[in-house]
Amino acid sequence: MLAHMTQVRIIGHKPELAHALEELYGLGLVELADASETSSTPFAHHGEHQARRDALAFLLAGTDAVLELLPPQPALLGDPVPGPVDTAALHDELDALAPDIETLTGRREALRDELVTLPRYLEPLRRLLPLVPELADLDGPALARLRLDTVTLVLNTDDERVLGALRDELEQAIGDQFELVSTQVDKQAIGCVIVFSHDMAADVHRLLGHEHVRHVALPDPYAHLSIGESVRAMEHRLAALPELIEAAGADLTSLVLPHAEGLRTMRAGTAAELEQVNAIGRTGSTRRTFVALGWVPSSDLTAVRIELETRLGPTVVVEELASSPRDPDAPVLMRNPRWARPFEFFVGFLDLPRAGSVDPTLLTALFLPLMFGVMVGDVAYGVILLALALLARQRFAARSAVLSDLSWVLVAGALWSIMFGVLFGEFFGDLGKRMYGDWSLWMYRPGAEALKPLLLFAIGIGAAHVVLGVVLGAWQAVRSGEHRTLLDKLGTLLVLTGLFGIAGWAADHLPGGVVTPSVGAIIVGLVLVMSLHGALGMVMGPLELIGTLGNVLSYLRLAAVGLASAYLAIVANELGSAGPIWMGVLIAAFFHTLNLALAAFSPMIQALRLHYVEFYSKFLIGGGRPFRPFGQQPGDVPAATP
Amino acid sequence: MEAGLIAIGAGLAVGLTALATGLAQSRIGAAAMGVIAERPELTGRAILMLAIPETLVILGFAVAAMAIVLL
Repeated sequence: MLAHMTQVRIIGHKPELAHALEELYGLGLVELADASETSSTPFAHHGEHQARRDALAFLLAGTDAVLELLPPQPALLGDPVPGPVDTAALHDELDALAPDIETLTGRREALRDELVTLPRYLEPLRRLLPLVPELADLDGPALARLRLDTVTLVLNTDDERVLGALRDELEQAIGDQFELVSTQVDKQAIGCVIVFSHDMAADVHRLLGHEHVRHVALPDPYAHLSIGESVRAMEHRLAALPELIEAAGADLTSLVLPHAEGLRTMRAGTAAELEQVNAIGRTGSTRRTFVALGWVPSSDLTAVRIELETRLGPTVVVEELASSPRDPDAPVLMRNPRWARPFEFFVGFLDLPRAGSVDPTLLTALFLPLMFGVMVGDVAYGVILLALALLARQRFAARSAVLSDLSWVLVAGALWSIMFGVLFGEFFGDLGKRMYGDWSLWMYRPGAEALKPLLLFAIGIGAAHVVLGVVLGAWQAVRSGEHRTLLDKLGTLLVLTGLFGIAGWAADHLPGGVVTPSVGAIIVGLVLVMSLHGALGMVMGPLELIGTLGNVLSYLRLAAVGLASAYLAIVANELGSAGPIWMGVLIAAFFHTLNLALAAFSPMIQALRLHYVEFYSKFLIGGGRPFRPFGQQPGDVPAATP
Repeated sequence: MEAGLIAIGAGLAVGLTALATGLAQSRIGAAAMGVIAERPELTGRAILMLAIPETLVILGFAVAAMAIVLL
């Protein structure tokens, strides 16, 4: 359910504003609203606050950049640094580390760049090497003694005619005093080596420049080596680079690690003070007092008053302002029993309920696992899902609150799956039935005679769920005094009741005496719904009622998805019983694993869809704003507001 | 013969509505991915929109089930 929120006004002596904000930050119980426009004199943004804010933001960014060099750690809670942060000390510490960090990160980045760029030189050279075996090991001085020059080119084209054109141009320029060999080095690139007399070097380079052939020289360490030596040197360097990069990273870590704890503490203190300085802009003031507006859960108001009086003395007053429970500006805080809290994630996933409206978390916690269990409905699958959920909870719950919630939801769903598995007599589909006969407590679900009761059961759940949603909508309309909505809901309930009565009579479950009151209820309900929407109501009213009926029928998916899962399990057993036993076990295991994977996701998505579309649409008023108390988000990095 | 025709009818009821659902959801899904990429906070509503056409196949299943049970 939603906690009742109270709007408060906190008034105190102007000089004590910073101290009051620090104490409020430490309490973490009050969400600050913008009071800057509500006071007689707007609180001036003194230069010192702006300067302080900029200094803190700068230091925060610098500290984060240093801490990013270390493995991630959970953020510290609260404000571990009482009073203003010693920005000078933090500045000095960061300045002392900066030169070494810059050198080491520069070295690491250069190594990483080399790891990316070196293969671009190496690959073409590797492919060209077999073309000129005689020249492979001739370096610059050796070539000079032979009075030979070489040019290695990579043409960014796969068109051989370009090569032909280059050969023709060379023949025109220097006759036949050259050798050109080529090979495809890439899908879109041709590599070639031109060997020519040293006397022709100027003509060749002039030709290549004239033809806009760009020279890309090898990196300096390889420029004067032969092709073969260059390839070997590059390969050796590439093999060594990962270790060098790791060593550079280790050097960085060992440089920063001794300072890590101190920096994390200072970072948390800096972030906290920055948030407090930013909050000054949201306060108002008179000549002598500061004014802060905020929201606090009503149950925590007394605690806030006592704490502020204890820490700041009687000069700070917490005044309760009159506000409606359905105030659109009020934030929303869900407070549910521990067993239902994991389901708050699913409610918030769609839309947070508005303040003063109905919180569907408790009902979701009851119905979602039940619907999941109806669809899975297999003892063996339920046990496996339970084991997986408990394992996930044990391994991942500490890392992520969302994973912890999801694993708890899966535990609840698995327990209902086991229960419905016992009712339906399913253990890996019909495996239990094959071994021990029909042991179902209610009905064997895949059996032909179970189809009708299963469909009626699914529709029954749908009818109950949708009617519950409409009733909640009506109750909400009563609380908020929305008479039209109330009449609309009542009309819908009357029509649904009438239809269920007629359906019950048609199925011989109800006596003939219900027909007249049922028809009467339908007529009255229709008239109510149609009359509330004006002229359009003649069309909209019946359409909406048909939509509601469609919502009830939508719950047939509980039967459909469940039967699909059951029949897939039966198919797995059928295929497994063909052939030798070892092969049968493998095949059956494969199909059961597939079915289990489907069973883990599809029923949950279908159950969620039923809640979101068919159930919540009857009463949920969304658009709620989450309660964000001042000081309780240690991971937040508040940017300096302009 | 009659049982076979009923089975074919039930299969067509589910199969054709499943096709229609798939066609609808393919377009909604593509649009939903675009929305989620730009505004991740709308993921819940995007999934909701994606799930709405499933009513078609459920109603097809209802018709198939009625054909099998009642005929």
